Amino acid sequence: MSFPTTDHQTFVVLRDLIAKDHAVAPETLTPETPLKSLEIDSLSLIELIFTLEERFDVVADKVPDDLATLGSVADYIDGLIAARPVAIDDGAPAT
Amino acid sequence: MAARRVAVTGLGVVSPLGNDEADFFDSLQAGRSGVRRLDVPFSERLSTRIGAPVAFDATAYFSPPKLRMLDRVSQFALVAARQAVEGAGPGAFDDHLQRAGVFLGTGMGGGQTVDDGYRALYAEGATRLPPFSVLMAMNHAAAAWIGIEYGLGGPNLTYSTACSSSAVAIGEAWRRIRDGETDLMLAGGCEAPLNLGTLKAWEALKTLATEDADDPSASCKPFARDRSGMVLGEGAAVLVLEEWERAQRRGARIRGELIGYGLCTDSTHMTHPTVEGQARAMALALESAAIDARAIGYINAHGTGTVANDMTETRAIRQVFAAHADQIPVSSTKSMHGHLLGAAGAVELVATLLALERGILPPTINLRSPDPACDLDYISEGARKTSGVDVAMSNAFAFGGTNAVLVCRSGAAAGASQRPD
Repeated sequence: MSFPTTDHQTFVVLRDLIAKDHAVAPETLTPETPLKSLEIDSLSLIELIFTLEERFDVVADKVPDDLATLGSVADYIDGLIAARPVAIDDGAPAT
Repeated sequence: MAARRVAVTGLGVVSPLGNDEADFFDSLQAGRSGVRRLDVPFSERLSTRIGAPVAFDATAYFSPPKLRMLDRVSQFALVAARQAVEGAGPGAFDDHLQRAGVFLGTGMGGGQTVDDGYRALYAEGATRLPPFSVLMAMNHAAAAWIGIEYGLGGPNLTYSTACSSSAVAIGEAWRRIRDGETDLMLAGGCEAPLNLGTLKAWEALKTLATEDADDPSASCKPFARDRSGMVLGEGAAVLVLEEWERAQRRGARIRGELIGYGLCTDSTHMTHPTVEGQARAMALALESAAIDARAIGYINAHGTGTVANDMTETRAIRQVFAAHADQIPVSSTKSMHGHLLGAAGAVELVATLLALERGILPPTINLRSPDPACDLDYISEGARKTSGVDVAMSNAFAFGGTNAVLVCRSGAAAGASQRPD
């Protein structure tokens, strides 16, 4: 299986993560959903990025301060995935 | 400004005996023990496997994102604070919140987070730690969360004096209100020491009780000839302390009055208590309450179940109360809820206030064969119904030598239903 690198796949992972965390239906979340509406502030965004770093085996040096929607977070992670030096087989965290 | 009176208008408790005041006191009254063999994955690594854990489903109180920011110790504290605030009733937290604050005590703060972090780093070779590690482990996290939750703009302080931490926090909060600096305080303490690292550190001090061969739940035996040490417990208690007139004006249910606080330090030895220090703290508390020693009708003892404390405390009580000592029922509720360290003073003050309110003095359990050197009335036969006990004392003494004693009066005796004189 190839590593999920499309916007859509990253977004789906993020969407399902958020849906579970906030006990909302995944269908209610779109790339346009503002982080603010989910009460994700600068502090919780750091944790969200941390979780996604683990999930996609990427490293974020700093969390950008212009992420405002779920889609922008997914795009940011996709950027990190594209910049990864070595591809791995699946999306599981490195052990 | 004349000294102001301080009412207790809310109580919250998360404890090995239940997670609200009713369950907590019902267990105390029934002499039920919260001590047990710990059901933890690392139990085979412990030489002392007993403790007094809290049965607690954090997900019932917090959303997953919030929960990930809270060490177990802050979870306890926030739940206890919520109970206290709800109990304080309408109007308590509606206004003047710039003159309201939070004083908590904790001995070891977010120990679970520290333990988890070290395990990840040293045992599992992790290259990084979760982003909230600092915010979860820092000692004043619990107090800060409570302040944020209720928007309290006055002083927010965390006291750390080991086993007297929360008695100190409550006493200092009492002083702030008495002296006119604040009108409303959430005061108490929290502790969550039942993680591997903290338990192993306590084991090494050789002060923990040996597990009772017949009944692990009977391992903590304060004042008994066969006592072998303390049993670590976890939990939190938070009280709403409120300036008397304010509480009266809003028609609050007054649960008691905090009337005295004695604080002193042994400054002789890191762990060994002194009769003189403990006695001095009790005398200072009586002095600050401006009452005669004979007014005290019940003492909730520090009563850890260690050889050193129980004998020392007994002698200190005799020194302060002289002949009246034989007339005072004394109990160690630690025999049931264990030693909650930084939360002990607060949990035991809640026990003391409820004892006065209900007219029932909780027992010292597991005291079948008293130590001849411990010769007070320890209520060993089971909870005692009482009438006419209006004023009580709660003792908290600590490693490091910080002795803190609180004196409280029942709501009824304090004239809760009418205007004070």
